[in-house]
Amino acid sequence: MLKGLFDLKRWTALIEVIPENYIPGFLMTLRTALAGLLLALILGVIFGLMSTSHNKILRAISRVYVEFFQNTPLALQVVFYYSCLPILLGGTGFRMPKFILGMMGVGIYHGAYISEVIRTGIEAVPRGQSEAAQSQGFSYLQTMAWIIFPQTLKIILPPLANQALNLVKNTSALALVAGMDLMYYTDSWATSRGYFAQAYFFSALLYFIMCYPLARLARYLEIKAIRQPVAKASLRKEIEEAVS
Amino acid sequence: MKIKRLSALVLAGMMVFSLSACGGSGDSGTSASGEDTSVQDIVDRGVMKVGVKADVPKFSLQDTATGEYVGFEDDLAYEIAGEIFGVTADEAKEQGLVEFQAVNAKTRGPLVENGELDCVIATFTITDERKETYNFSPAYYTDAVGILVNADSGIASIEDLDGKIIGVAQSSTSQEEFNKYIEENGIDVAPSFQEFATYPELAQALAAKQIDAFSVDRAILEGYRNDSNMFLDVRYGFQDYGVCSAKEKTGLAELISTKIQTMLDNGEITALLEKHDISVE
Repeated sequence: MLKGLFDLKRWTALIEVIPENYIPGFLMTLRTALAGLLLALILGVIFGLMSTSHNKILRAISRVYVEFFQNTPLALQVVFYYSCLPILLGGTGFRMPKFILGMMGVGIYHGAYISEVIRTGIEAVPRGQSEAAQSQGFSYLQTMAWIIFPQTLKIILPPLANQALNLVKNTSALALVAGMDLMYYTDSWATSRGYFAQAYFFSALLYFIMCYPLARLARYLEIKAIRQPVAKASLRKEIEEAVS
Repeated sequence: MKIKRLSALVLAGMMVFSLSACGGSGDSGTSASGEDTSVQDIVDRGVMKVGVKADVPKFSLQDTATGEYVGFEDDLAYEIAGEIFGVTADEAKEQGLVEFQAVNAKTRGPLVENGELDCVIATFTITDERKETYNFSPAYYTDAVGILVNADSGIASIEDLDGKIIGVAQSSTSQEEFNKYIEENGIDVAPSFQEFATYPELAQALAAKQIDAFSVDRAILEGYRNDSNMFLDVRYGFQDYGVCSAKEKTGLAELISTKIQTMLDNGEITALLEKHDISVE
């Protein structure tokens, strides 16, 4: 394989298929990741707030969502949406566009993680903060919006960036169901041409290009959050736990 | 910053090293003097490692109860092993001279190339492109591409496939063959193609109606025929299956080719095909 790795002919073959294989795959992955991230954020905020509310039923619903999607593999979820959902919907041959499938897959899966990030972020702000706000006549929503949320944001940004990073990589689960994403095209060309080293090396590079800025962002936010402590010094521990 | 750069370099170095490490064994077929020792290597090891399919009825099917591989291609492996070790095929089977490993379209190429397997006998179609990367024996069987559709889909001929989705296997030539066929026959249909890694995934996608047709080699397709699906009555894309071995293992490739050619000439291949109830085109 090492001989193949430095074989110029194989690299030339790779360059030839970039426009027809890697570019559409890269764009599909990018689109899916962006839409998926948006969905994950929306779900994360909704269920994160639900899990910190005083209503038992809302808390229970949020718990079930988080535990179910955190404790089953993403690959299985994607295959389920692809193969089983249409049968459950009547088996009439309903087909979900691959983009929607991917967005749902990573969006719902990472929504569960983001929900947890938001819950721990809110819980990390000392109770005294909301008590003080209430004593000043703030309503629940006002307390959340003006007192808790700004402090939470600093805590949750680093783990959120980490989630975004994982979300990008996890879009590769789409390849299992012919998702037309980067991983799909990589597998397709690698197996048909047999130039595995080139195919996967270049694919890794493209994923790296998408993920590395997010990794740097996470690190930057992490340092910034530690430098500007929120209400209490014990937060640093919280952040470190959330990040790891 | 300097330390960071250094660690990045070290990391990059490790990656290259690990790549070369997995490729290392691929060179074992050639000794330092440049002489090919691939056949002797197998004799010294005492066992020939062969990649076969585990899910193709008649050709190579793994018995789930015993773990044993049964089929035409597995018998072919015993014939080749017999040739290498100087025994008959039956003796090779009895003495366990062949170590089978299940492969699929995605794994068979790399496993041969990196030396993990001595050869692959796994409904591997011979193409000019592949000949640049691997050694192939003369064809031991000629198969055609088949198209399987859901019985209730209303698709009755190849003309009905316009705008439909045809599922094919990764690394297969089914898509090329389809396009060649419609072009040669002036059929005006434009289906789209989606690739899947395994045949069970394709069968599942067809059953869930996520694809309209499932098109791979007929030998493979036979294993997925049931009451709710049916073959389209077309025969095209005749393709040759060959025994694949690594490019640099010239000694082994020559031995395999000679053996297959001999078996083709004296009718042993035909007899073996008949034994497994495989129709000869």
